[in-house]
Amino acid sequence: MSRAKGLLVAVDGVNGVSVKTAARAALAGADRARRGGVSAWDASGIFEELAVADEEEGAGTPSARTLLLLYAADLVFRLRWEIQPALAERRVVVAAPYVDTAVAFGRAAGISGGWLTNLFSFAPAPSVRHYVDAAAAKAKSDRQGYVEFCCERLPGTPQAPTRQELMDRARLQLKAVARRR
Amino acid sequence: MSASAGRLPRQRAREHFKDPSRRRGLLVAFEGPDGSGKTTQRKLFKTWLQAEGYDVVSTKWNSSDLIKPLIRSRKAVRALNPEEFSLLHAADFRHRVEHVILPALWAGKLVLADRFLFTALARDAARGLDLDWVLKLYQPLVWPDLVFYFSVSPITSGKRVTATRTPNFYEAGQDVTSVDDPVESYQRFIGRVIREYDSLAMIFNFITVDAEQSITEQHRQIRELFRAGERRPWIEWNVDAVAEWLAQKKGKPR
Repeated sequence: MSRAKGLLVAVDGVNGVSVKTAARAALAGADRARRGGVSAWDASGIFEELAVADEEEGAGTPSARTLLLLYAADLVFRLRWEIQPALAERRVVVAAPYVDTAVAFGRAAGISGGWLTNLFSFAPAPSVRHYVDAAAAKAKSDRQGYVEFCCERLPGTPQAPTRQELMDRARLQLKAVARRR
Repeated sequence: MSASAGRLPRQRAREHFKDPSRRRGLLVAFEGPDGSGKTTQRKLFKTWLQAEGYDVVSTKWNSSDLIKPLIRSRKAVRALNPEEFSLLHAADFRHRVEHVILPALWAGKLVLADRFLFTALARDAARGLDLDWVLKLYQPLVWPDLVFYFSVSPITSGKRVTATRTPNFYEAGQDVTSVDDPVESYQRFIGRVIREYDSLAMIFNFITVDAEQSITEQHRQIRELFRAGERRPWIEWNVDAVAEWLAQKKGKPR
């Protein structure tokens, strides 16, 4: 008799609050006995510490590339401690956000697709993908997502010269990815 | 970066670094395993360069104000696996490239790097990571004008390091050797690191300094090799990294 495999569900979007809500809904849709939980970004605490460190004068603003390297490090942590253990127990685990959100941010900031593909090549493909098409939060206190966090720090890039343009561009990139999937 | 967005910064980068009327920034990297004496040589070399009239900026491995604390706290609790270790060091390096190395080179200074990206390549490969994956993390690449590789045997490295202290957990490679004794683990791990360094030295044409020689002899040799190498043309490979940095600078004020 075959046993059910673990299921990795990716929920991606630029609006952090909407992604959280969608992640909870995706998990609630799974059989109660198989619910493994939601793996959210910054489980490792890297970004929380970064937010403290970059308030200190002279530390310098991180670039999009640096923020992506840190996201990848955080994702390795999530895979090690949250996602893979749940999958090994044949549970449903929701990664919110997963790879596509970071790739959309990177593309919006002008980073090449090849570099991003290599960066996240360690991450297994999800079994199911959900995309949340909601704009980044207007109020600063509601900006809880990875893209929102990054755009708070990056005042803009040559491709998207303001924070708002950068967030909008990331949303468009993600929509394009969702259409291709 | 899109072709149209990148064109202008690329052109600026080329013009700036190839302009014969200004003193070109130079990047010199000191590489080698722990205990090879490269820090001693880097300090001696810096003093000499300053006496020769160079404006010198030093940068050390894992030293950015922003990322170093993140790495330090995770090393302290031994929480890093090889991929996290690699990615965090790549983030630290990128931050220093953007905030220390490229600004100094642009200003025509001489940057002395105590360890460069080859340290990551050697250590990460010794930890079993794919060299190509690691190298691509560091793109767009910033290539040094000169790389001095301080070559020592694993035995010499082990003797020098353990003469004064016990290697720490990650330095000893205990995260991958599973050996409890740090000294024994170091001896095994450094052998792997040196093998990787030796391969890199051949692939990337490092200037190898026999670090088993006396300090004075090594220093004399470095001065000579520097004199012979400082007039090399600007490395075209660096154009992408400089262009990206220039574009970011341009994007910042809005």
